[in-house]
Amino acid sequence: MADHAAVHAIHDPNIGNTGLDNRKVGMWAFLGSDCMFFGSLIGTYLAYKGKSISGPLPHEVFDIPLTSYSAALLLASSLTMVLALAALQQNRLKPATGWLFATAMLGLHFVLNQVYEFTTFVLHHNLTLSTSLFGSSFFVLTGFHGAHVTGGVIWLLILVMLAMRGKLDARDYTKVEIAGLYWHFVDIVWIAIFTIIYLIP
Amino acid sequence: MATQAAFMHGSKVETETFWGIVWSWLTTVDHKRIGILYGTSAFIFFLIGGIEALIMRLQLARPDNTLVGAERFNELFTMHGTTMIFLAVMPLSAAFFNYMIPLLIGARDVAFPRLNALSYWIFLSGALFLNSSWLFGLAPDGGWFGYANLTTIQFSPKHTIDFWMLGLQILGLSSMLAGFNFLVTIINMRAPGMTLMRMPVFVWMSFVTQFLLVLAFPAITVALILLMFDRFFGTLFYAPAAGADPLLWQHLFWIFGHPEVYILILPAMGIVSEVLPTFSRKPLFGAPVVIYSGIMIGFFGFGVWSHHMFSVGMGPVADAAFSISTMLIAVPTGVKILNWIGTLWGGSIRFKTPLYFSLGFIAMFTMGGLSGIMHASPPVDLQQTDTYFVVAHFHYVLFGGSIFGLFSGIYYWWPKINGKLLDERLGLWHFWLMMLGFNMTFFPQHYLGLIGMPRRIYTYAPDLGWNFWNLVSTIGAFLIAVSLLFFIANVIRTMRSGPVAGNDPWDGRTLEWSIPSPPPVYNFARLPEVQDRDDFWLQKYGDGHGSAPRPRPAPVTAAEIAAIHMPPTSYWPLLLGLALAVMVSGLMISMYQVVVGGLLTLYLMYKFAMELHRPSTGHGH
Amino acid sequence: MADQHAVAAAATHGGGGGHATVKTYINVAIVLAIITAVEVASLYIPGIPGPVLVISLLAMSAVKFFLVVGFFMHLRYDHPIMRALFVGPLIIAIAIILAVMALFSAFVLLPRVVL
Repeated sequence: MADHAAVHAIHDPNIGNTGLDNRKVGMWAFLGSDCMFFGSLIGTYLAYKGKSISGPLPHEVFDIPLTSYSAALLLASSLTMVLALAALQQNRLKPATGWLFATAMLGLHFVLNQVYEFTTFVLHHNLTLSTSLFGSSFFVLTGFHGAHVTGGVIWLLILVMLAMRGKLDARDYTKVEIAGLYWHFVDIVWIAIFTIIYLIP
Repeated sequence: MATQAAFMHGSKVETETFWGIVWSWLTTVDHKRIGILYGTSAFIFFLIGGIEALIMRLQLARPDNTLVGAERFNELFTMHGTTMIFLAVMPLSAAFFNYMIPLLIGARDVAFPRLNALSYWIFLSGALFLNSSWLFGLAPDGGWFGYANLTTIQFSPKHTIDFWMLGLQILGLSSMLAGFNFLVTIINMRAPGMTLMRMPVFVWMSFVTQFLLVLAFPAITVALILLMFDRFFGTLFYAPAAGADPLLWQHLFWIFGHPEVYILILPAMGIVSEVLPTFSRKPLFGAPVVIYSGIMIGFFGFGVWSHHMFSVGMGPVADAAFSISTMLIAVPTGVKILNWIGTLWGGSIRFKTPLYFSLGFIAMFTMGGLSGIMHASPPVDLQQTDTYFVVAHFHYVLFGGSIFGLFSGIYYWWPKINGKLLDERLGLWHFWLMMLGFNMTFFPQHYLGLIGMPRRIYTYAPDLGWNFWNLVSTIGAFLIAVSLLFFIANVIRTMRSGPVAGNDPWDGRTLEWSIPSPPPVYNFARLPEVQDRDDFWLQKYGDGHGSAPRPRPAPVTAAEIAAIHMPPTSYWPLLLGLALAVMVSGLMISMYQVVVGGLLTLYLMYKFAMELHRPSTGHGH
Repeated sequence: MADQHAVAAAATHGGGGGHATVKTYINVAIVLAIITAVEVASLYIPGIPGPVLVISLLAMSAVKFFLVVGFFMHLRYDHPIMRALFVGPLIIAIAIILAVMALFSAFVLLPRVVL
């Protein structure tokens, strides 16, 4: 195993003594850290749940069908992401690019749904950042998740652009793999948020 | 392939002009240079934080003093604490992570050299941003712990808190990026044969520290984000009138804050764990146990945070739970102290300056630990909290502990970094004056706290019985300053005309002593094959059980050296660090600046990422 | 030639111990969709006691969470180091959420627990 890793090290500076790619190890470390970030935000939301002294209540404003559709979008996007990776591994660049683009579009659709949701809350329910503890904690928690999704969409679109210019192929598997890991993480955070914020009464 | 000169210094051959040299430092991705940058910056900020302390001590030397007023005093203790923690101790530790970790694990550099440079430039941006507040007359004044809701717009309407809040976000980003870098480096860049348990204990303590960095900083990031949204966008996270609980800040802050103090002490403990064996000519006593203790301290350090909040009224169940967890965490710490003593016991001791500072660490940190154990009891802590007793406690562990430990590392590794030995006599003057001054400053503060002197007061009445020991404390502080002059004189004199150090001036045990001082840019001409802990010692002397020292390997050939590929310099880290500062400071100036700075940051991130994608030299990655 | 080199490189990078197939991915996606549908539907079923609903929602989410992590993120087949890098912090994060909930007397499943 050490010899195998040593051979890799000569050819690929990214592979280390464990045989693993530095960037993949680094991305998992980052995702662990991001668990603490979202954990702190979720903890804040739960600490303040039910303690607002005025303003609309969660069940008065939540549109469960819309958010369920958004959840389905993200889950579907995780599927398209792994399909993109599977295609890339076999150097089938057209399907890989297509699936990457689909992932980005599903993510973009999610973000647009969220923009629609936020706008509805502000304009129709008079719920803003400053209305109540619910307004503050809801918008900040879901807003930061949405910002993570937006960052992911931009990252994916850059990969699509590189692929279309012939600058992305199976040699870049690890780079696309770590984009995928980030993307799936954003999906599982939504799984947690969707249940804890929207579904649990 | 590139010529030898070119690969030595990256894609551009280093010019000998002044600006060429400056540019080579601004664009360096070499972990050794980045370590020197961190260390130099940290020392300068240590002096600045020290001056802030001296002014406070001058003000408190006599009752009813008028050197500085209450408002200025608030700024001084806020900036002193923030500077010492984030701009002195942490970057001094980072200097050692940067310089020493690759050498100790037998690597040529860290996992992500450009990210490493980026961490430094972001650090410097944050440090300058924070201290620029002095120039605007807006130095932060809410304490280094920034308790809400004092720090909300309602009670702190000026930009003072914004400098602190945004400065810490920038510094936090720097620390986290470095944390990821060293985590991957330690996991994935070790020399052949160096299993995790064969790593030097300094690397292990640093490893645990990196985990603490990447897991604790998100909590303060969230606390600061909530404060930022309250201050800039009108949210209600810290608004009691809207039903919010000010304790939310305290909990989030100390969920970060307690692991932070282990971030501050573990590297110093790691240094001591290297110095003691070297100067006792004995292996570290129970090295695996010291390692496991470090891991336990790191993990359970996340479970004690509310011992900083015993006086806020959490109730008996919470108080008891955190009291028990705090007392438990003293156990692995005590174990380490016993192991260090066991290392010295029966050793062939050479009393050199690094050893003195490590011995000082053990004694002073133990004293700080004893006052800490007292704080672990809520009823006892109710008397001690917010008094000078606490100030004494944390200075014993942070100065007597971290600073003494870091100076031990400075004296120990100085010859390796600079190729020159520091003078022993000047070193001992530094040590003894610092020991005397430090104890004069802080020991009386235990007593002052117990007879009732509160923290963070800018003056006091003359008839409380506090006058004499405050004066003694101030004199001690100036003695510390004098001791530092000996250190600075030592550096200046020996860099000019001191004796050359050679590879292995201390007859060391670990890999860094097997290469020249200072090391070549590629560190190891041939990566070592490690067979045990303290492998270099075993190479020199055998294992003491009868087997002979290992046969000397064949000399390194020029062809081997020519085959080494070092990463080129890069200016994207510097530019990205600047752009980030522009974006963040825009929050206090204009949203246009935030947007422009943000777009610039995104663009530079893209360029940074693309720099090595399909490079023109033809490498596939 | 370059293609073969690329595919070979990807193959070496691509796997840990084993690898899920496209079929597995699609099956996982179907299971995720079904669970999500059940979760949403359970909100509209009258008469479920509060604690039971909460526990089953959390359980279903946990299953979805670990399916995505294990299969889509490949953690099931990866080197234990990656598992440690993610699961350790996850455990700490969950413990802190629970501790914060307790400290703020947020509604936990057992209303008797009041600090």
